[in-house]
Amino acid sequence: MKFLVNPSKFNKVADYVFLPVLILSIILFFTGLIFAFYLSPDDYQQGSTVRIMYVHVPSAWLALLTYAIMTLYSIAGLAFRIPFGFIINTAVAPIGAVFTLICILSGSLWGKPMWGTWWVWDARLTSVAILFIIYIIIIFMNLSFENRAVREKVVAIFVLVGSINLPIIKFSVDWWNTLHQPATISKLSKPSIDPSMMIPLIIMTLAFIMVGLGIAILRIKTEIISRKSNLS
Amino acid sequence: MNILNKIISFYYREYKLNLSGFQDILTNIIFFFVSIFIFIFSIGPDKEAISSIGIGIVWTLLLLSSTLSLRKFYQDDFENGNLLVMHLNGFSFGFIAILKTFSHFIFVQVPFLISIPVASILLSIANDKIIYLFSSFAIGSFILSCLGSISSSMNLMNQRNFLLGSVIVMIFSVPIIIFSVGIVNLEENFNSLISILFGILLIVFAINPWASGLCLKLALENN
Repeated sequence: MKFLVNPSKFNKVADYVFLPVLILSIILFFTGLIFAFYLSPDDYQQGSTVRIMYVHVPSAWLALLTYAIMTLYSIAGLAFRIPFGFIINTAVAPIGAVFTLICILSGSLWGKPMWGTWWVWDARLTSVAILFIIYIIIIFMNLSFENRAVREKVVAIFVLVGSINLPIIKFSVDWWNTLHQPATISKLSKPSIDPSMMIPLIIMTLAFIMVGLGIAILRIKTEIISRKSNLS
Repeated sequence: MNILNKIISFYYREYKLNLSGFQDILTNIIFFFVSIFIFIFSIGPDKEAISSIGIGIVWTLLLLSSTLSLRKFYQDDFENGNLLVMHLNGFSFGFIAILKTFSHFIFVQVPFLISIPVASILLSIANDKIIYLFSSFAIGSFILSCLGSISSSMNLMNQRNFLLGSVIVMIFSVPIIIFSVGIVNLEENFNSLISILFGILLIVFAINPWASGLCLKLALENN
């Protein structure tokens, strides 16, 4: 597991892993989309619009997962002085921002036919919008500091302070009475979703993870190279 | 010279600095009032409409005008080397952050606290709500000072994007705005909401010396 903290070991593993990840992501994406569009049933209330879920939910999960990974690597970078944590922070932030944007846009497209509005100031929606702004601030911070040693640590501190938002997003549907429905899939109890919808959702989630992983590998490798040549 | 004398001389220096730059503080207050005028001009002089959204306006403008002075929080002391002198005199970076936060609270936020009654007359907020607004801002402004300390210490080495510090403060002040406006609008929940606000204050006050001290140390090391 040393490739998770060591740049040169990561490079070696990434070279082996990248092509399978790419092929797997293509296969999973196509099977997932076929399942989502043709092989899954319509919802008895929402009709065909329920298929937006197969994009909306995985991207929301991955937006949170990306931020959680950044938080863990910030702790690793600041507390254990592992520079690879800062590399991950710089490389992964735009991916999380894009997933959050996909989540917000698809949710908005889903909300128009179901709730009758593109946007409501609901607890879940607002906290996800704040997550998106936090990602944008992280990207801007990465661009606006000239000194790299200062930049990476300041960004890590900001990521840690901003991680307060994660539990707020997770539990916002439980703490407040919101328009957004509460979690249907949880580890502790039996999921309240039918297997015929669960299977495409899982396939799409895996596909999103693979796509994110592929882009992340490319970005991390670029970041490692640019650090070696002291470009930024 | 023991630590108490040092703290007293620190605040004496801050007092002298703020007295000589008194028009800066006054400009903040004037910005606050001018923005209230602008709001009223844009909404129209309807008393019902103004009093229904007045509290939100006051809180928003207080937040905006207290983020205006963030650039001066550490920047002057950092550039003329006083921060290093303080550290060499035995103050740890976290302790400097705490002292500076209190100084910012006293010299920047307290004038706003004094001007709240006048502003609430202008926005026709009911008299019995002023006390709630006042108490919520007394706690909330200290949270804003702590957040300002964190963001301005983060942006010491930031030479390109000055506005980022204000954006950071504003994004973290969302829960403060929610609970403080809730205090004024839901008076029956006063005790529970002010406890939540006080809890946020304690959390931020605990994070502040750690985060700002680390950022100050980084900026001084890499300057």
